[in-house]
Amino acid sequence: MNVLYFLIPLALLLLAGAVWAFFWAVGSGQFDDLETPAMRIVMDDDTKPPESPDT
Amino acid sequence: MSAGACFHCALPVDPRDQYYVDIDGEQQPVCCPGCKAVAELIRDTGMSNYYAMREAPEPGTGRPADDAAEWQIYDRDDMLAAFAESSDGTAEATIYVGGMYCAACSWLIETTMARVPGMLSADINPVTHRLRVSWHTAKLGLGGILAALANLGYDPQPLAPESAARPELLEQRAALKRLLVASLGMMQVMMFAVGLYAGDYQGMDPDMQYFLRWVSLAVTTPVVFYSARPFFRSAWRGVIARAPGMDLPVSIAITAAYVGSIYATLTNAPAVWFDSVVMFVFFLTLGRFLEMRARHRSIDRSTALSNVLPNTVTRCDEDGQTTIPGSQLVAGDVVLVRPGESIAADGILVDGDTAVDEALLTGEATPKPKSIGDPLLAGSINLDSIVQFRVETTGSDTTLGTISRMSERARYARPTYVQIADRIASTIVVAILIIAAAVGTFWYITAPDRAFVVTLSVLVVTCPCALALATPAAFAAAGTRLAQLRLLVTNGNAIEALSRSTRILFDKTGTVTRGAPVIEEIEVLDDKFDEEQCLRIAAALETVSTHPIANAFRATENDVAISDQSVAVGNGVTGVIDNQVWRLGRASFVGAASVGAALAATDVCLGVEGRLVARFKISDELREDATDTISQLTELGLKAGLISGDSEAVVQRTAGKLGIADYHANCSPEDKLEIIRTAQQNGETVIMVGDGINDAPVLAGADASIAPVHGAMLAQTSADIILVGHHLSPVATAVEVSRQTLKIVRQNLAWAIVYNATALPLAALGYVPPWAAAIGMSASSLIVVLNALRINRFGAP
Repeated sequence: MNVLYFLIPLALLLLAGAVWAFFWAVGSGQFDDLETPAMRIVMDDDTKPPESPDT
Repeated sequence: MSAGACFHCALPVDPRDQYYVDIDGEQQPVCCPGCKAVAELIRDTGMSNYYAMREAPEPGTGRPADDAAEWQIYDRDDMLAAFAESSDGTAEATIYVGGMYCAACSWLIETTMARVPGMLSADINPVTHRLRVSWHTAKLGLGGILAALANLGYDPQPLAPESAARPELLEQRAALKRLLVASLGMMQVMMFAVGLYAGDYQGMDPDMQYFLRWVSLAVTTPVVFYSARPFFRSAWRGVIARAPGMDLPVSIAITAAYVGSIYATLTNAPAVWFDSVVMFVFFLTLGRFLEMRARHRSIDRSTALSNVLPNTVTRCDEDGQTTIPGSQLVAGDVVLVRPGESIAADGILVDGDTAVDEALLTGEATPKPKSIGDPLLAGSINLDSIVQFRVETTGSDTTLGTISRMSERARYARPTYVQIADRIASTIVVAILIIAAAVGTFWYITAPDRAFVVTLSVLVVTCPCALALATPAAFAAAGTRLAQLRLLVTNGNAIEALSRSTRILFDKTGTVTRGAPVIEEIEVLDDKFDEEQCLRIAAALETVSTHPIANAFRATENDVAISDQSVAVGNGVTGVIDNQVWRLGRASFVGAASVGAALAATDVCLGVEGRLVARFKISDELREDATDTISQLTELGLKAGLISGDSEAVVQRTAGKLGIADYHANCSPEDKLEIIRTAQQNGETVIMVGDGINDAPVLAGADASIAPVHGAMLAQTSADIILVGHHLSPVATAVEVSRQTLKIVRQNLAWAIVYNATALPLAALGYVPPWAAAIGMSASSLIVVLNALRINRFGAP
C-alpha cells in the first residue's frame, strides 16, 4: 500500500495540470459559445471551394 | 403568373426578369440580380450546402440591399479607431449581423469570413448575432469585411467597443471554471472518502488514514475558497442588507464542515466531512450554473436602438457633402436622405417634399406626406424623393429613444414573483438557523461529544438545495424546450405568467398578419376592361413607386408600354399608356369623387382621364396558422382579443376571419395599455403578442409579452419571449409548456418539502451522519433536476 504515498500526489499533480489546461481553454474563449458546436457537426461541408488565386 | 419563390430569399419571382442560378446542376429561379449574385457567390465558394441545411427563410431575408451602403468609409483611420481595437498591424472588432435567422447562416458567415484574405479569425455567436473578427490591417480594412458580409445578403453593423464588451461572457467563463474545480475536486475527494469509509470497517493503517485526510483537505481547500466564493459573498451581502438569503445557511454549513474537518484532521478525531463539503459545493455550483445559462439567453438591448438607424449619413456642409457615421451627428447638421434610407435623428425638413414610413414609431402603415418645415422622426424611412433635413435632437433624446426609455421603465416597475420567493426564502433560512442552534444547544447539554456532528447534519440535511433548485431547474428546462419550439425566453417570470394567463391580446399588423399587402379583391367599374387588364396596367404604373402597397402589385406581369411616369407624394402614381393619362392611388387623386362610390381607406383606385376604371381592395394576408392558433388558445381556456391602431372596418374583418369576438380598433399605444390595465384590474393575467416599436410600453405592461422576431428590434428587447420564424402556433404550445412547467415546479416543491420534513427530525435526533445527510441532500436535488428535465420531452413526438 505504500505505493499510494507516491501515486496519490502524482494524481494530484495530474489534476492540477488538467485544471490549468481547462482554465487556459476557458480563457482563450473556447467555451464562450456552448450552443453552436452542437450544431456544427451536421454542417461540415464535403464540397471543396475552388482554389483561390491568392493562396 | 408568378414563377414561384426566389431560391435565395423566398420573395415572389417576377417572371419577366428571368434570373436563374445553376445550383448543383439545377436551374433555380431568383428574384433579382442581387439574389443571383449572392447565390452564385455561395455556390462558387463551395457552400451550396447552405441551401440544403438552412431552415425555410422568412420571405425577403438575405436579399441584398438595393443601394449598397458606402462601406469604404469604414476603411478610414478614424473609423478604425471608433469601431476597432488595433495593435501591431492587427485589429479586432465586433459586428452585429442583421438578417441571420438559423444555424446555417452562422456556418455560412464563419466559413466565408475565414476565407477573406487577411482575416485572422471570425467567430459568430448565433444567439446574440455578434461576429467577432480580427484581421491584418495591412491586407484588409473594416470596410472590406462589412462589404463581404453585405455581399452575402446580411446587414452588418459595426459596434463601438464599449457596447461590444460582454460582462455576461466573463461571468460565464468564471462560472465554468468554478464548476470544473468543484466537479474535479468532488471526484477526487469522494474517491479518498470511499477509502476512508472502507478503512473504518476493515481497519486501516493510522498513517494512511492521516495521509488520506490531509490529501482530502488539500483538494477541498480550492473548492471552498474558489468554487464556493460566490456563496460567501452573497451570504455576506444578505447579512448586510438584513435580508438573509439561501446562501447564509449554505455558507455556515460549508464553513462549519470545513473548519470542523480541519480540526478533526489536526486532532485525529474519529471523522472528517470533506466529502460532504465538496459534494455540497458541487451541486450548488451546478444549480447556479444552469440558472445563469437560462438568464444569459436574454438578448442584449444596447444594439436595439441603433439598429433601426442608419450606420452612415450624408452631411451637407458649405463645401459639399461628406459621409459620416450616424453617431457623429450633432444638432444643427443638415443631412441628405435618399429614398429608401432611414432617418438618423429627429429634425425638421428643410428641402424637398416626400412621404415617410413611420410604421416603426406609430404603427401607422400608411406613409405620411412631409413638406418643408414638417418634423421628421428618427427611425422613420424616407420613401419618395431626395430631401434634406436639419438635425434637432440625436441619440437617446429622439422620440425613438424616449419610447425605448419608457419601455425600460415599465420593465422595472413590474413586481416579480422572484421578490416574493426571496422573502419566503429569508424566512425559511432564519427558521433553519434557529432550528440548528436549538438542536446544537440540546445536544451540547445532553451529549456534548455528538453536538457538532448532529448540528452539521441538520444544517446539511435542511439545506434548501432542492427547494432552491426546484424552480430554476424547471424554468431552465422550460427555456430549453421553448427554444427548440423557436421561442426564446428573455425573462423567466414570463413562463409563470404564461401558465396562469387568462387573456391573450394580439396586435394585428405583422403579428396575426404577415405585414405584407396583397390584393384581396378587384372590382372592375368599366365594361371596356377586364380584371387581368386592370391588374397589368396597375402593375405597370406601380413600377416607379416605393410605397409599401406597391408590393401588392409586384407579383403581376407588367408588359404594358408606359411612359411619363411620375409619383405624386401621398396620393398615387401617374403614367401615360396609349396617349391616355392613367392614375392609380387615392380615390380623390384618380377622380373618383365625381363617381361618388363608397370607398374604404385601404382601397386603391385605377382611373383613366379622370374616370374610375377599377378598384383594388388591398389587405394584409393572415399568417397561415393564425386561425388554428387562436382556436387552440381558446381550447386552452384563454380569451383571445385583437387590438390594433388600424381602422374599425379593417380590424373587424380580420377579427371575423380569425373568429375573435373581442377586438379594439383605432388604438393608440396608451389605449392599448389602458385595455391591458383594465383587464388586469379585473384580476386577469394578460399576454400581449405584438411587434413594432410603438408596442414596446404595451408589451412591458402586460404580464407576459411575445414578439415575432422580424418586428422592430426594440419590441423584441422589451418582450419577455421572442418568437422566431413565421409561424404563430408556438404561442399556443408555449402556454402548454408553461403550464407543464408550473406543474413540475409544484411537484418539485412538494417533494423538497416532504424530504426536508422527514429528514429534519431524523437528523435532529442524531440518526443521520453527515455523509448520509450529504447523499440525501444530493439525491433529493438530483430528483428535482431529473423531474425538471422531463419538460424537455414535453410535446415531443
